[in-house]
Amino acid sequence: MSGTLSRRSFLKLGAVSAGALVVGQFVPPAVAQAATNAGLLNTKGNGYIPSMCEMCVWRCGLIAKVRNGRVVKLDGNPDHPHSKGHLCVRGQSGLMNTYDPDRVLTPLIRVGKRGEGRFRKATWAEALDFTASKMLDIKAKYGPEAMIFSSTHNLSQVQFENLLYAFGSPNYGTQRSLCFNAMIVANLMTYGMEEPERIYDDQLKYIILTGRNLMEAISTSETSALSAAIARGVKVVYLDPRFTKTAAKASEWLPIKPGTDLAFHLALLNVIIGENLYNRSFVENYTVGFEALAKEVQPYTPEWAAPITEIPAETIRRIAHEFAAAAPHALAHNGWRTSNFVNSFQTQRAITILNALIGNWNVVLRASGGESSSALGKPPQPPYPRASAVRLDGVPSKFPVVPLKIGVFQELRDNILTGQPYQAHGWFIARQNPVMSLPDRTKTLEAFQKMDFIVTVDILLNDTAWFSDVVLPEASYLERYDPLNPVGDKVFLRQPVIDPQGDARSALWIYKQLGERLGLKDYFQYQDEEDYLRQQLAPLGISLQDVKAKGYAQLPEGKAAPEYSWNTPSGKIELQSSTLAKVGFPAVPTWIEPPEPPQGQFYLLTGKVAQSTQFGTQNNQLLHKYADEPRLWLNDKVAADRGIADGDWVEVASQVGKVHTRVRVTPGIRQDCVYLTPGYGHLSKGLTTAFGRGASSSVLHVTYADPVSGGQALTQTFVTVRKA
Amino acid sequence: MSTRGNTPRYGFLIDASLCIDCRSCMVACSVENNVPMDVTRIWIKETGITGTFPNLKRFTAPYHCMHCIDPSCVSACTVGALTRSEEGIVKYDKDACIGCRYCMYACPFEVPNYEWNQRFPQVIKCDMCFARLGEGQQPACAATCPTGAIQFGKYEDMLAEAHRRINEHPDKYVPHVYGEQENGGTATLYISPVPFEELGFPDAGTTSPAFSNRLVTEGTPLVAGAMLVGLTGAYLTIKHQKEEAEKERAEQTTGEE
Repeated sequence: MSGTLSRRSFLKLGAVSAGALVVGQFVPPAVAQAATNAGLLNTKGNGYIPSMCEMCVWRCGLIAKVRNGRVVKLDGNPDHPHSKGHLCVRGQSGLMNTYDPDRVLTPLIRVGKRGEGRFRKATWAEALDFTASKMLDIKAKYGPEAMIFSSTHNLSQVQFENLLYAFGSPNYGTQRSLCFNAMIVANLMTYGMEEPERIYDDQLKYIILTGRNLMEAISTSETSALSAAIARGVKVVYLDPRFTKTAAKASEWLPIKPGTDLAFHLALLNVIIGENLYNRSFVENYTVGFEALAKEVQPYTPEWAAPITEIPAETIRRIAHEFAAAAPHALAHNGWRTSNFVNSFQTQRAITILNALIGNWNVVLRASGGESSSALGKPPQPPYPRASAVRLDGVPSKFPVVPLKIGVFQELRDNILTGQPYQAHGWFIARQNPVMSLPDRTKTLEAFQKMDFIVTVDILLNDTAWFSDVVLPEASYLERYDPLNPVGDKVFLRQPVIDPQGDARSALWIYKQLGERLGLKDYFQYQDEEDYLRQQLAPLGISLQDVKAKGYAQLPEGKAAPEYSWNTPSGKIELQSSTLAKVGFPAVPTWIEPPEPPQGQFYLLTGKVAQSTQFGTQNNQLLHKYADEPRLWLNDKVAADRGIADGDWVEVASQVGKVHTRVRVTPGIRQDCVYLTPGYGHLSKGLTTAFGRGASSSVLHVTYADPVSGGQALTQTFVTVRKA
Repeated sequence: MSTRGNTPRYGFLIDASLCIDCRSCMVACSVENNVPMDVTRIWIKETGITGTFPNLKRFTAPYHCMHCIDPSCVSACTVGALTRSEEGIVKYDKDACIGCRYCMYACPFEVPNYEWNQRFPQVIKCDMCFARLGEGQQPACAATCPTGAIQFGKYEDMLAEAHRRINEHPDKYVPHVYGEQENGGTATLYISPVPFEELGFPDAGTTSPAFSNRLVTEGTPLVAGAMLVGLTGAYLTIKHQKEEAEKERAEQTTGEE
């Protein structure tokens, strides 16, 4: 298959083959019939269908333009608060995930050695029977805990969890510890919720972004809001060792030394408390532990922080003054992928507390509804069996404040290797690519070799599927239903806009089929996807037909939550956390010295680009076309000193691995840092577009877990760079 | 004598201060218009990173057909494959195109692209998504732009908004609406925090070659007419003078006799 297929010829080819199928087949495809019934398609099968994007976890609303049974264009849904009519570059490219020539369209069973990529096609019945028998074997021999289940945040996750709890395994892996554990756990300890909602209103005057690269790590509505705020004259201070596209838009870019954001924020707290710039009545009424905090931050003066952060003391002091002067219309943004160093949890705590001190609650931050709604129904089911075994990821024994649904994924991988406290034997992976996402890929591949059985659910033969024994082809997000998604006062629907290609099936169908074969039928009491949705909608008295037509349903007005209460032990915002104190962690944010690279080595930075999401979109031909070639960013002065020119090949080595990549020489990065675009360096030859492009940062990343939140310290990897 | 083309009905306002180089416009355009993988109708112009660490700057702007009021490409096209519609949209008719690519050389904005790798190549350029306009939708690039860097609307509104932003934020924009005068005026208008040449925009002059061309081509009959009159006059004058002279000479001869 050629690396770059003309999309036009591809679409034409598709249209021809679809046309050929239609001859002699008078029954319209199911999706088209349903969409026609809902008034979305005309009799010719042309029209617009509202659904939801899945190119990242922001989940914008989309409107798919359908012509003759093919989706030809996606636009943002103006009715959805996350898109407001726009789609980002990934959302615009989404139809090429569905029409990727590398799609897996039948179940596959491995025939070669693991990692050889040799599979044979199988029927669903055979693949599901085989998978169920392997899982039951493992359960019978070693107990249910010997099966690991891991899946990345998605709308069918609720039924994935249902499968794992019903099976009886405590071993649940999510990607969160590779991403935002530090932020989530810090918010839980401070506010009693995972992430308060941010309000970008006309009053907002000041924003501190700690590495939140919103102009490249795009969350459409928030990126729009930030851009509009900047245009309006809101001051944006942006901390990042790299001159990103957000740095280019910020009012002030501070190329802070990696790992020292904590010192910067502790110094802001020092000034705001020391100079009485905080909101005294808010602190007295709605927080606990101010005295302990004040005592702790007393030595963290701007003069103390200046040599640590390499930001002048007067700059830190000025920013503290400006931030306090803008209160309560000032936001210290928590950031997104926030686990960078083993002190990242403390950094996140300092940020949440900075917000609390200026009393911006219900002005700039407010309680977020989350992703579940008690107004929705669900299929009946028996209680889950009790999972008696401890978890392999050390939650809660080693990580007592990390929620079970979040976990510490890299620790789970490490304990597959150690076999302690017991050996895992099987791994069920859905819509996730741990081979690429976990730090230290060599270790992950070793962990795979410890497994008796690996099954992967995905739309592509991703790197994890490549090393699996069975691959179950999922329908793409434009081909399937998922459970309803509450956003604000509405629930949004992901519905198929075209029929699944080949034998691809929805996750709701796959989990139910597998559940039935595992003897867990009672946990999957829905006939099909539409029946599941009808059961969800039943308490609302809204028909699925109506939701399909509009793309969403209005939720009944809930009881307004009390204005100032938090789900913490004290019911207040915990500047000093009794929970943390109880388990022996510092109860107020405190300075922890991060490690530094040895002489001649660099911090390895990672961070998103607008044209890809994690590890799953590099094979999309449109994104491939419009993304820059992934290269290692190297400071221009350093490059000159080392005789390295733009475009040169270099070897980048850490203590766990090395890669070869080309260099982008740029003034836009600190001299002590290099940056590698994540998501490249794929191993699967089943990804014909992405294979061979760029290098994998996961090969280089050394495994570290922040002791409080379990977040992987992604920037705590140091590398050498030499001309290849 | 020829006049300027009519004022466009629609226009784009592209604000370089808002562009984040995300390339959503590029994908939206390619998908909407079924553009092959190796070409594009819209791309990003940029300054690159300028300044010295840590005082760095970078600006970008999406860039596509200007939809000139007097389009040079239309003037250069020998077969009428490029036309300017009543609304001011410069449209391309692939069936009329003979692939001579004069339009590419004529365009002062270096806009038309060409499908070099196709067997039956076409010229690739923005047509304002007129099919979408017909369905009451914005052009694909403007509709999807997450920061509103690309706006689309009535030309007069876009021009007024461009001047409003510059007047309200003289510190933020250079005092130049690119496209208001360039090449005799265009339906695509840009404002920017940096001079346009730093973004790599061409200096297109303020008169369209198409306009000057038309002065020549449409003026030819008049000039020819005038020349005919003038030459005839000259002929008659000379003839008259000759006759007079001959008469005089004859008279002189007679007088000498």
